[in-house]
Amino acid sequence: MTGDDAQRETDGRTRLTLAAAGASGIWDWDIAGDRLYVDDRFAALYGLDGDMAGRALPTATFFSAVHPDDRARLRIAVAGILGGAERFSKEFRLVRSDGTIVWVHGRGQGHADERDEPVRFTGLLVDVTERRLAEERLRIAQTAGGVGTFEYTDGYATVAVSAQFCRLLGLHPATALPVRTINALVAHGAPIVPEDVNAATEIAGEFMIVRADDEETRWVARRGEIMRDLDGPGFKIMGVLYDVTEAKRSEAKLRELNETLEARVQEEIAVRMQAEDTLRQAQKMEAVGQLTGGIAHDFNNLLTVIRSSVDLLRRPEISEQRQKRYIDAIADTADRAAKLTRQLLAFARRQALKPEVFNVLICVNGIADMLRTVIGARVELVIESNCEQCFVEADIGQFETAIVNMAVNARDAMNGEGRLLISLDDQPSVPAVRGHASAEGAFISVSVSDTGAGIPEDVLPRLFEPFFTTKEVGKGTGLGLSQVYGFAKQSGGEVEVTSELGHGTIFRLYLPRASTPPDAGEETRSSAQERGQGRVLVVEDNEQVNEFASDLLVDLGYETVSASNAAEAIGVLERLDGEFDMLFSDVVMPGISGVELARIVRERWPAIRIVLTSGYSHVLATDAGHGFTLLHKPYSVQELALVLQGRAAL
Amino acid sequence: MIPDDIALQELERDALTEIVNIGVSRAASNLRKMVADQVILSVPSMEVVTKRRAARLIAEREVSDLIAVRQDFAGTFSGRALLIFPQSNSLELVRAVTGDEMSPAEIADIEHEALAETGNIILNSCLATMANMLQRSLTMTVPHIVRGDGSSLFEVGDDAASDGLVLFLYIDFAIRQRDIRGYIAMVMDLPSLAALKLLLAEFIERIVGNAA
Repeated sequence: MTGDDAQRETDGRTRLTLAAAGASGIWDWDIAGDRLYVDDRFAALYGLDGDMAGRALPTATFFSAVHPDDRARLRIAVAGILGGAERFSKEFRLVRSDGTIVWVHGRGQGHADERDEPVRFTGLLVDVTERRLAEERLRIAQTAGGVGTFEYTDGYATVAVSAQFCRLLGLHPATALPVRTINALVAHGAPIVPEDVNAATEIAGEFMIVRADDEETRWVARRGEIMRDLDGPGFKIMGVLYDVTEAKRSEAKLRELNETLEARVQEEIAVRMQAEDTLRQAQKMEAVGQLTGGIAHDFNNLLTVIRSSVDLLRRPEISEQRQKRYIDAIADTADRAAKLTRQLLAFARRQALKPEVFNVLICVNGIADMLRTVIGARVELVIESNCEQCFVEADIGQFETAIVNMAVNARDAMNGEGRLLISLDDQPSVPAVRGHASAEGAFISVSVSDTGAGIPEDVLPRLFEPFFTTKEVGKGTGLGLSQVYGFAKQSGGEVEVTSELGHGTIFRLYLPRASTPPDAGEETRSSAQERGQGRVLVVEDNEQVNEFASDLLVDLGYETVSASNAAEAIGVLERLDGEFDMLFSDVVMPGISGVELARIVRERWPAIRIVLTSGYSHVLATDAGHGFTLLHKPYSVQELALVLQGRAAL
Repeated sequence: MIPDDIALQELERDALTEIVNIGVSRAASNLRKMVADQVILSVPSMEVVTKRRAARLIAEREVSDLIAVRQDFAGTFSGRALLIFPQSNSLELVRAVTGDEMSPAEIADIEHEALAETGNIILNSCLATMANMLQRSLTMTVPHIVRGDGSSLFEVGDDAASDGLVLFLYIDFAIRQRDIRGYIAMVMDLPSLAALKLLLAEFIERIVGNAA
């Protein structure tokens, strides 16, 4: 290796090191002398031989290593300086001998003599390849992430911004924006670029802005840091801005959902309550359906008694004693039939769940006849009470439905033959059933025991599920026992079932004992044999019933006038003004209804007492009396007498 | 929106920016002599836009009303030159040019003349340099002061005259460490811009020659 070679190698290493370190070189362009002087670092960046540094070079050297695409641009910029411009600031590419490209930033100054003629052009050349790469990465990150950056120095009127920052605000991309331009876009509230930051070190915030280009309202978030003592007495903010409109909108939607939550829950509850109501009615109608067969059978029996009694009465040579016996039989049978239909109608009636204190024994005895009809003649019904004051607080209608459901179940289990025992007992506690803990307290149990086939063990857990049934299609819907369960739970009680295959089943309904029995006094019914007096207008479209009612009234001591509809009745009242004490009218009639008639009479003849009567279940179900006294059909002479005397407890 | 034979190529824009830079450098040199202090003027970028867009560019950036020095020029290419400042900035400029010794009342008194004089130096330098570098001659009228918003300065209306084009340049001033920003706008009709483009192409040919 010769000395020259060693020198060249050293120079080469120096150049590489300098280039790698991103060092800066300087140039001095003598305009008047048309010569260029550069230092060794400039030479290294340009890939010139080291010994060129410090020597007078042709000015064309300045463009020698410049990338062809940047050369024209650079020539024009230099022409500006040679023509008298003062500032030179250009970034351009240099092509190295190995083909790699270096980005450099040339920053220069034109110098003029006292006659303003440009004489020198000096400057500094810096390797900015790394910075360009970092900037490129930052630009891609900003665009991809939708993040705009800004930099603000306290006291300045402008803010250095990125293109993405401008796009976020709907502004024409620029590198600097006046503070006021940015802050004027905020719809209301604090400015995006704060004029005063006090002692804070960080800034964060969300701003509602109106974008400059499309005037759309958007939300942007600002994050950043406040730096002090960097390059002056004031502070400097470096921050980012990004769009959070979608997040804000979701947030608002969520808040609205929260605010309306209560209303929606209430609505949901109302819907559910209606569904439960419907289910309860369905359960009841299921029980009614179960009853129908038994009722039809029973009615046929009753009609047979009446029919044969009438046939017997028609015979000419019949003794007075036998006559009386047949008439009594007809009357008794009709009473039983009336009682049965009344129970059925009352049972099927749609009514609100209304807990009240009642005597369980009286209630069970009250539906005993109906139960006998349901279970049939071959099943013996036994009711026994082992408790003194069997008062509970529950809904009577639901209670009766539950008893009927259990009885129907028992009947089917016994295949129509056997013994059904309903027994009432005091209970000090409710045993643990179906995973529920036992509960201490005063309870009354109503047990319904049958002598039937019993329930298989695998069926037991599903017994109370709605629509679970082991019966054939058309025989049952599976709502019966679910009603019993629902009623027990709703009333603060429990239902327990024990069964032994081949020996029978016991359903035991537990209900909390009520501490305050109601006025337990028996209905006091005074003699109906008191004679009535006064003139009654009887309005009834059915001729027979009209005649029958008039006969009864006359029998009770009243004078009667009949009318077959409301219009006729009003005519009579007008004709015989002031001669009536009472109006006794059917509700459901062609033309003007009984209720409307009652209203008219109350309006025009307020002194007349009004009693309405109806046998229709839907009339009974709704508050058809509309404040008027309502007598249910069929009625007995005694009931009629009490009502007309205004003494009936209805 | 802007015809191809009018739109400036990148090199032409670079060339025009440099020519204007030479102009504002001359203006800075003159101002330095006037105020005996450091004055730096530079034009970082420029673009050709419609009058409407020029009005919007200014409205986006400036919230307050504007004040402008206006001079008409005629020659191979003709038009109207405007040196525009935000109104709030103009007294600052006057103070920078006249020195801090004057009272606010005095400054308000001479604001008009001081602005007209400063504007004349800057616009004259720019236009004269352009004429010189492009080897043509231009005649210029005396400066006028006008006030208003972007739309009124560029006479943007509903009529067809609004379709004129504007050579829009951003300029940075630094006088006595004060940050003052402004704009130079040259409103020209299409034939004038086409003529300017031709002259720029000739200029580039002279500078770059076959080296490009």
